[in-house]
Formats: sequence, C-alpha cells, structure tokens
Amino acid sequence: MKVVIADDDDLQRAILSAALTRMDHTPIEATDGAQAYDLLCEHDASILVCDLNMPGMDGNDLTTKVRGTIRDRYVHIIMVTGHDQDAVRKNALHLGVDDFMGKPIDTATLTARISITARLVEHEQLIQEKTRILEEAQHIIEDDLNAAAKAQQRLLPAQQINTSLCSFYSAFVPSSYVSGDMFATFELTGNRTGFYAMDVSGHGVSAALLSVAIGHLVTEEYFERYTQSEDGKPDPALLAKTLNDRFFHLDSEDYFTFFCGLVDHDSGVLHFCQAGYPTPIVVSSENSIRNVGDGGYPVALLPDVDFVSESVSFSNEETLVLFSDCATEADNAQHVPFGVDRLNDTIRTACAEDVTSIPDAIVSALRAWRGQNSLDDDLTVLVCQRRLPK
Amino acid sequence: MIKIDTTDSDISVIIPEGERLTAANSTHFKEHVVAHVESGHSRLVVDMSGVQFLDSAGLGALVGVLKRIGNRGDIVVCGLADNVRQMFALTRMNRIFTEYPDRAAAISALKDAI
Repeated sequence: MKVVIADDDDLQRAILSAALTRMDHTPIEATDGAQAYDLLCEHDASILVCDLNMPGMDGNDLTTKVRGTIRDRYVHIIMVTGHDQDAVRKNALHLGVDDFMGKPIDTATLTARISITARLVEHEQLIQEKTRILEEAQHIIEDDLNAAAKAQQRLLPAQQINTSLCSFYSAFVPSSYVSGDMFATFELTGNRTGFYAMDVSGHGVSAALLSVAIGHLVTEEYFERYTQSEDGKPDPALLAKTLNDRFFHLDSEDYFTFFCGLVDHDSGVLHFCQAGYPTPIVVSSENSIRNVGDGGYPVALLPDVDFVSESVSFSNEETLVLFSDCATEADNAQHVPFGVDRLNDTIRTACAEDVTSIPDAIVSALRAWRGQNSLDDDLTVLVCQRRLPK
Repeated sequence: MIKIDTTDSDISVIIPEGERLTAANSTHFKEHVVAHVESGHSRLVVDMSGVQFLDSAGLGALVGVLKRIGNRGDIVVCGLADNVRQMFALTRMNRIFTEYPDRAAAISALKDAI
C-alpha cells in the first residue's frame, strides 16, 4: 500500500521509509507539507505519516488542506509529535488527524499503527467497489425504467386531440418512472367516440406492466367489438366483463379500476360502465357540475361480478372530466386529502376560463397542495368536450 | 402494524394499527392476516375504526384475505370512517363485506350466524 511520509528530517524519513518497506508497503517521501500534498494527489495514496513541524506547510496546515480538498477517498493521517504535547494533539485531532506517534518512533508502534490503518483502507476499498457495482446496477435499472417510461408514453394519445365530433385534453403524471394508469380514445363508426381510463391498484413497475398490457390489448377494433351487444346496441359493460374474465386470477391481487365510455353524437348520449373508477363529472355550459355514475365493481378483483352499462345525456356544450383517484386522495403535509370539493372548484374555475386548461389546472393545484412532496400516486386527467374549441 | 384479538376463541378481531391502510403497509397486513387464517382462524371481524384512509391497495389486501378464506369462513368489517365507507360503495365492496357499526355488533352477528 502507498504511504506518503512527510518529514524534513532526512534520518527520520529514512527510518520510516525502511520500516514501511519491510512491511511490504510502498513509501513515498516528501520533505515538506506542500510536496506531501502533491504526492498524495499524484499517487492516490490513502495513508499519510507526517511530522508536525515542517518548514512552509506544517503538519496541521497539510491536514487542513487534505480534509478540505480530497473528497474521492479518505486519507488516514498519522501525525508524529512529541510524547507530552497533549494540547498540540487535541488541536491536531480537531483539524482531522486520525492517530499519533511519539518521537522517537519505535518500530513496534509504527507496525501496529500502519497495520490497523491499512486494514481500514482495505475495508474502505471493498466498500467503494461494492458501491461502484451498485451504482452501475442502478444506472442500468434507471436506463431501463426511462426506456419503459418512453414506451408507455408512446402508447398514450396526444395531450390534445381534435376529432370531427369532439376534443380530448389530458394529463398523465406517473408517480415514478412508469405508471399504473392508462387511457385511450377512439373514433368509432356511426358518429360515435369511445374512450377508457384505468388505474391499477398500487403503482410502480408491477402496476405499469398491467396498465401497458391493457394499453396494447384494447385497440380500436377490440374496443368497438366489446362495447356493443350482439344486436349492435351500446354495451360498455361487456368490455369490463371481458377484461375481468381475462385478468382475474385467484392467486393474484392485481386489479384495476376502469371507466369506459361511448359517446353517441347523434343522440347526445353517453353510454358508460364505471368499474370502481372515481366518479367522473360533467360540467354544463352554465358551469354547474353533476356526477356520472355512482360506482361499480373494479376489474380483476372478483370473479363473476356484474358490470353495468348505464346511459346519461351528454349534450353539446358539456364537458366530461375523468380523473384517477390521486386527484382527490393526494394529501398535504397535514395529511388532509385534496378532496372532491377542491377538485370541483379547480375544474369549475379552469372551465370558466378555458376548457383546454383543465388538465394542467388540476396538476398544478395538486402539486401546490402537496407542497414540497411530489405526487405519490399516478395521476390521469382526461377531459372530453363535445364542442370543438373556437 | 396489526393486532389480532382472539379473546373469543371462535372469532378473531383484526385491528389494523395506524390510520392508513395503503400500498405502504397493505402487503404486510395481508400476509399477517392470511397467516392467521392458515393457522385455523377463518371467522374474522376487521375493526376499521382506527383507519382514516384506505386506498386501492388496502382494499386489494382485504379482498385478498377474503379470497383466501373462501367458503370456509366469514369476514366482516366494522367501524368504517365516512371516506372508507364511500370507497366501499364506489367499488361495490359494500355488497361483498357486511358492515356492522362496532366490534360487539359484528361479533354478535357472527355468533348468531353459526
């Protein structure tokens, strides 16, 4: 192991150097503090044996400089002083010296001190190597998660979609790299528009695997096929039932809440199935709010449960707002949830200004509510406006 | 994290400790209760009177216990806070878990059901 010896006394330096060589270490000699510092840096040495009194930069100045500037490793400093210099040693300890040897140096003391220090350095090097391996693994995992997040984002519709019949505005904020939320919109045949939003229980990678699976499975063709009965009538509950049959497993706890909607633009009716997803709201042109639905079984939680298709009027000039449970459950530093009333106020205020601003307004309000903390659950906001923006 | 009262030899009262049953502690809750069920206790009252917030993962843990009990026992709940009751209603779990106002009423009902 490399050991820098800083001493202006040629004889003392030679004795130390010879002893260290006998211990199979590599002594690097310096005649003053400044040279010792340069050699420490040049050789990446982790042990310094220095005399207190040296011309120019003395042992204390050298210690101060080492502690103040060398950050990539710990340099163990053993200072050589007189035996009866308690006050001097206290000051040196305060500056960062680790251990002392008295003059004249006896070989047994030197051997013991250097052996202990060498063991500490070896242990630190082992920890450094383990840290390096962990950091490397962390980078690989982070790269993978970033790639997964991009892949998930690519599955999502654009933040703003203007079709010939209605517009959608959305926000999608994963609590981590990837999200257990998913949503999609579809232009269907017969002047109809379809959409769904889902939220997998929990969050993180395991939730995201399920949300992405649904994102890939529920294509426009799949959606159209499973949201109408055999006689062609709208039946969005069929999609929830189909997904429930496919994803329920007795030995799994993965489930998701789901809202599936089908807007019939000719009749001005919204056909929907609410499967445990938070109750969406409709904002009228007078800026009043009404709920759409009152609940339903989540998907893949229990087998053979009834999913129900319902219908409400959804006229031109009205706006439908869907949001995942994070929008009401996000709590502040005092653990007070944002709640339905604050959410409704946020939506009403944004809607009065500009419907397109609703998703961002909700995200901003929740972030402000959370204060220093980031959102701890995935957030989705999906706004459907039947009237095209002016 | 969780207390189990087996004063009544036939019925176990499960008491989640802490005000929140969420993704942060639901796995531990489920494993603990399932281990209790596997040791031969399959008639459970989950006393939620101390739980102020239940998220979807907490709900999943309760259903996980229900699935483990299957047809061999019962699981009922009592002491639901308003927002927890709303969560049960939104997800229709109020049709799956019978709710009682308090522990005594739940135990009494389970005894009557024998």
